[in-house]
Amino acid sequence: MKALYKKEMKSYFYSPIGYVVVGLMLFVFGLYFWLGVLRSYSSSYIPQVYQAMLIWFMMIIPIITMKSFSEEIHNKTDQGLLTYPIGVGTVVMAKFDLPRSIPPTTLLGSLIPVVIMSFFSSPAWPQILGTVLGTLLYGAAMVSIGIFISSLTKSQIIAAMGTFGVSILLLLIDSMASSIQVTFLANLLGWISFTSRYQPFANGILNISSIVFFLSVTAVFTFLTARKVESKRWS
Amino acid sequence: MIEVKDVSKRYGENVALSDINFSVGENTVVGFLGPNGAGKSTTMNIITGYISASGGSVNVGGYDTLDEPVKAKKLIGYMPEVPPLYQDMTVDEYLNFVYELKKVTLPKKKHLNEICAVTKTAEVRGRLIGHLSKGYRQRVGFAQALVGNPPVLILDEPTSGLDPKQIKEMRGLIKELGKNHTVILSSHILPEVQAVCDRIIIINKGSIVADGTPFELENGSLGAHTITVRIDGETAEVGKALKALNGVKSVRAAGEKEPGVYEYEVSQESGADVRRAVFSTAAAHGWPILAMSNGAMSLEDVFIKLTSASYAKSKELPQNAGEGGDEE
Repeated sequence: MKALYKKEMKSYFYSPIGYVVVGLMLFVFGLYFWLGVLRSYSSSYIPQVYQAMLIWFMMIIPIITMKSFSEEIHNKTDQGLLTYPIGVGTVVMAKFDLPRSIPPTTLLGSLIPVVIMSFFSSPAWPQILGTVLGTLLYGAAMVSIGIFISSLTKSQIIAAMGTFGVSILLLLIDSMASSIQVTFLANLLGWISFTSRYQPFANGILNISSIVFFLSVTAVFTFLTARKVESKRWS
Repeated sequence: MIEVKDVSKRYGENVALSDINFSVGENTVVGFLGPNGAGKSTTMNIITGYISASGGSVNVGGYDTLDEPVKAKKLIGYMPEVPPLYQDMTVDEYLNFVYELKKVTLPKKKHLNEICAVTKTAEVRGRLIGHLSKGYRQRVGFAQALVGNPPVLILDEPTSGLDPKQIKEMRGLIKELGKNHTVILSSHILPEVQAVCDRIIIINKGSIVADGTPFELENGSLGAHTITVRIDGETAEVGKALKALNGVKSVRAAGEKEPGVYEYEVSQESGADVRRAVFSTAAAHGWPILAMSNGAMSLEDVFIKLTSASYAKSKELPQNAGEGGDEE
């Protein structure tokens, strides 16, 4: 597990991907923070900055998940991993760890200016921390979906486009639900809407059902990925 | 050490392996021979647990690869046809990665140094795998299979991409490893299999069509074979005397090769060796033998014969006839 995690870490940070992702996110955060908070001299806009960051996270997640399994399948290195004396579960969990740890690392970095600002004003901590937690949970679910899509194809481009498509769909699902006349379908779309599940966090509310929902989505797609990787043995 | 029992593999309608059975003991080098698509790599992938069989079972060192995959895999070092190498790692990083992944308990530095020395990869340990030549990548692929010193080595075309000198070295290394490892290797190069392997299994269209030592395959396993003898003597009498020998199926005069000296092709019955009897008969009649050669089939001939469509068809006929007889 540790060896695989180290290998994943190297593959992200030996290539520009890791630096570009973290750097770009912090840059975008800085830009929003400067435009929304520093120029208006008001810490009350900080939660909105984090809400805007969610969209950017959704755009960046396809890039951090696209190579997870696609690259292994393309280079046939999965044949090595699956014939070493380690379980499929270990391989899959190690693949999930690093992409899942990039959003929290970035968000932790982004909290530094907020903490500094708290010495001079009173930021709305419940909303800020709620938004950060919501982003982390939403991000973890999206990372799981992205890695699952990556396990379906040997093309990194297709994996990235597929995850990107799902991200867009999930961001638009609320508007789709409101325009559908069939009540059952509208309710179903509303139920699976990530955005409406995320909303309580943005309001500073620790919504247990939303936490369970995001954690369940994460677990289901982790499980599906393990089954997909193992299915090679049964094809 | 390895027991493959009634293993079959189907991809939809396509049958890749059809109920194959064989077992391999300790310290043996077994060569898999077969044309492309015969099922060699599929068999290797099933033994290593990369893919599952549609039916049957594989046991490695007492562990069923399906019930106890991790324990079985611990005993296997596998080098697939395309070595599973990470281009962005150096050779040293890669071998350390494999060492940790396999949870090897041997002293790390010493063990990896030994592997690099035997696979001759020590000089490229600091280089990125993506920058290595095909030959070096192949050797790094072989090195990763040796990490942990597993008792079973499964090598899918291990000399592919190597130059003649490297091929010779690799063959020597495999032969050396075969003294205290169970090695299964596949190859298209018949002299290689002949030079390295104690036993050869020929696979064709998903079935095992021959299994034996190189000597057994070359001599007599495919029915009668022929010896060629050049005798100085009266043709009709020589032919008659040779025909009368036990174990001789037929004699054919192949023409006058020297003045008054004829060559005869003596077809023997399965399992018979009439060379000594030919010598004694010729000596008793006072006919000098000027040349005699064993007409055993080369491994190449055996391979071509066993994997040809007409042979596969001819093998089916007696079976069908037998089934018909049973019904009667």
